[in-house]
Amino acid sequence: MTMIRFRRLQTRLTVLYMGLFGFALLLVAIAVVTAVTRSAQTVVRGELSASGAVYNQIWAARSGQLRQGASVLAQDYGFREAVATNDEATVRSALDNLRARQKVDGAMIVGVDGYVTAAGLNPDEEAINTLFTGLESGKIDAGVLAIGDQPYQAVAAPIMAPVLIGWVVFVEHLDQSQMKNLEQLSAIPLSATVMTRSAVGWRDMAGGPSTVSATIDSQMKAEEAHPVTAATPDGPTMVLARPLPSFDDKSSAVLVLNYPLSRAMKPYQSLFIALAGIGLAGLGILMAGTWMLARGLTRPISALDDAVHRLQQGEHAEVAVTSTDEIGRLASSFNVMAGDIRDREARLTHMALHDQETGLPNRLSLERGAGNTPGAYVALIGVDRFEIVRNAIGYDSMAQLLAALGGRLAGLTEGSSIARVGGALGLVFQASDDAEALEIMAQTCEAAETPVKINGATVDVSLSAGLARAGKTMSSVDSAVDRAAIALDQTRAARRRCSMFDAGSYGDPGGNLSLISELMTAVQNGEVWVAYQPKYDLRADAINGCEALMRWRHPRRGFVSPDLFIGMAEETGHIRPLTEWVIRQAIEDQRALAAAGHILTVSVNISGRLLSDEEFAAFALNEVATSGADLCFEITETAVIDNPEIALGIIDRFAAAGIGVSIDDYGSGLSSLAYLKRIRADELKIDKAFVLSLDESSRDALLVKSTIDLAHSLGLKVVAEGVETPTALALLRGMGCDVAQGYLIGKPVALQDLVERLTAPVEGAAVAAA
Amino acid sequence: MRLALLLIAAVLFGTPALAADLTVSVRDSAGRPVRDAVITVVPASGVPRGPIRFNWPLRVAQQDLQFDPYVLIVPVGGTVSFPNLDRVRHHVYSFSRGNRFEIELYGRDQTRTHAFTSAGVAALGCNIHDQMLAYIKVVDTPWAAKTGPTGDVVVTGLPTGGATLRVWHPRLSGRGNEIATVFTVTNGANRQAISGNFSAAAAVR
Repeated sequence: MTMIRFRRLQTRLTVLYMGLFGFALLLVAIAVVTAVTRSAQTVVRGELSASGAVYNQIWAARSGQLRQGASVLAQDYGFREAVATNDEATVRSALDNLRARQKVDGAMIVGVDGYVTAAGLNPDEEAINTLFTGLESGKIDAGVLAIGDQPYQAVAAPIMAPVLIGWVVFVEHLDQSQMKNLEQLSAIPLSATVMTRSAVGWRDMAGGPSTVSATIDSQMKAEEAHPVTAATPDGPTMVLARPLPSFDDKSSAVLVLNYPLSRAMKPYQSLFIALAGIGLAGLGILMAGTWMLARGLTRPISALDDAVHRLQQGEHAEVAVTSTDEIGRLASSFNVMAGDIRDREARLTHMALHDQETGLPNRLSLERGAGNTPGAYVALIGVDRFEIVRNAIGYDSMAQLLAALGGRLAGLTEGSSIARVGGALGLVFQASDDAEALEIMAQTCEAAETPVKINGATVDVSLSAGLARAGKTMSSVDSAVDRAAIALDQTRAARRRCSMFDAGSYGDPGGNLSLISELMTAVQNGEVWVAYQPKYDLRADAINGCEALMRWRHPRRGFVSPDLFIGMAEETGHIRPLTEWVIRQAIEDQRALAAAGHILTVSVNISGRLLSDEEFAAFALNEVATSGADLCFEITETAVIDNPEIALGIIDRFAAAGIGVSIDDYGSGLSSLAYLKRIRADELKIDKAFVLSLDESSRDALLVKSTIDLAHSLGLKVVAEGVETPTALALLRGMGCDVAQGYLIGKPVALQDLVERLTAPVEGAAVAAA
Repeated sequence: MRLALLLIAAVLFGTPALAADLTVSVRDSAGRPVRDAVITVVPASGVPRGPIRFNWPLRVAQQDLQFDPYVLIVPVGGTVSFPNLDRVRHHVYSFSRGNRFEIELYGRDQTRTHAFTSAGVAALGCNIHDQMLAYIKVVDTPWAAKTGPTGDVVVTGLPTGGATLRVWHPRLSGRGNEIATVFTVTNGANRQAISGNFSAAAAVR
């Protein structure tokens, strides 16, 4: 069974109560109607039975009366004599006389020989036969006799002279008037009729067919007649059929009493109507009452329901407390809860949008501000040398400084909301174009640069600003605040007061990040390969070494700068597997070169980070030891600074294992003579920045010359990178440089190309000539 | 008592020198003996001329509001006396065809007589006491008798040869409450057994 689902509690309650009451009412109605109907039927049944019994009495009395009259005649001596002597005239006159006296419809003399003398009526042959047969049988002397199609009550008295010579028969028509007497005797207005059975069925006194033949038949079969209900054209009717004695044993007669039940129920009709009225009124009152009660009950619940929905939507939700019951308490609890939620939410929102330290709006707040005003500019104003100042005055004071600056900036920018973003202060402002925005911000910074008093001390501040336009850009940096922050970095790097975000110089670090995940796959796919740039020994006038350089041809991006992916590999911890792969590849390729008849020392760049990695050191030493390769590890001079003790130890172990150590990019960083002294290097590579301008700048030439001298005096070979012109090569040769490397000598090429290059005799001649 | 009278009569009057006797046994359909059945035998040779006499008194007394005897055989022309032995009065009548008579109220120890002139049955009634009923069977043959309690009766002195035997009883089923048998009387003792339905009504007009 599927339960009916109500949308509203009120409807449900109303329907439930209505249903229950209606059911109870229905039961009561059924009980009342049943009881009343049963009682009425009992009354009618009793009355019918009683009337039936009364009619028996009436019948018997009338029979007795008739018999009496007939007997008087039958016993009269003179009459008997007249009958016995066939004195028909006398007999007929006597019959007429008595008929008149007794007021009967007819009188007959039926002789034992069947001869009939009748007075007052003219019986047909069939009636005479029936009468005679009945009388002769001696079984009946009073009963119903059908003459024609009319029922008669016939009573016979024997004529004894002294033996039986005939009967005096009195006959009386059974008509409606006689039945009236019976009907009047009854307490209820029943209708009575005598029916006789003919060949075509039961017929009433008027000769018409009966409507309750079946009922009469069934009652005739029963031992004792009980009133039963039968269906008639007038509706259900209570019928009692009592058999009457009949002269014709084949054709019975019955007294039929009937009483339409509709008439029996009539007195109760008003009761039923009243009952129905009371029921309907009760139902109506209950419905109204339940509806109102349920409304009173559910209205606060509905209000709560609505309030909960509003609360869910984040709207203001408060319900009126109308009672002190459970619902009322629930309502007030709800109000308290809603208030708490509001407060907490406000607090959370405030916390989410404000910096706890300074109380200024935070980055999120600034981003919202930028998001709400597209086309505006976002500026981040940073305190120069932030860490230094912070370390000087302390964290708390720095926060106070920022708060004070925030206040000052707010005043300068007509009350803009100043947000704290890390160590900088951000604001959103309007400007017609980039130039105007830069102008406004430059002025603002300048105006705000007056010293700030913190705890009685005066702190000097200088400010820089980075700007970015809010809204969508072509840049990979979606957030205007991020762009402004980058712009601030760019401003500082450029040592300017104020600059716009420069997407071009920033690149696409986010996009690069995805490269790293592709890098290791690229190594396996062969997208990354090793190129070799020859090194030319100026003394031997021969190429006796090469530098292994990684190259990556990305299927979509094309050539990826080694500076980019190697730098990122260093940052993300992928440099070690990458370097290990290069070492293996270099060893393999060196073997291939040797097979081709070219004995070359292969240089491999080793990241400074790997110099403090013991596992890498173990791997490299093992590889070299097992392969017997002739490798040189090029180490950037600045790289060893990070963790000197371990790095120097590992470098020593490399040197001990016969691996050449080369100090790469010498001169580009803050070259420290102390390290130069401590590193057990074999080779020094002069940064190409010096070599490229060697033939133009005498100052560079001087630096290169003195560096070569310095290296030689320390026992190191000198390699010059970036040799692109024959002039430079000639100068280097003149300065005593040992090895040259650069486009003049050869670009980095694949192994196959290197083999071809080495095999070609022309090249070597060209270089030697230079 | 009747048997005794019969025996006495037989002894007193003797038997003429006629050879044949007839014993008739009357039984109802259940085989029970029937009393008061009247047997008449008419030989084919006819009945002798002259008055018929029977050896029983032609008398119907009224005693204890009953007629006595119930059935009396009377020869044609015989006069029957009706002594009233009761204290009450009786009004004896008969409407029977040929034998109609009426003896109006008469009292105790009074005797009336009536002569029955035609053969047949007269049903006797009393106009005062409906229950009183008797039959007088008027016969025209000397060979007549009625059965006693045994249902048997003997008729003596019959001439041999063919004869018609009739049995009458007020309740015997048959025309005129009578059935007839033709038989041959032989010398010596003859025997006839008659059985009938004795539940009919008396048909007397």
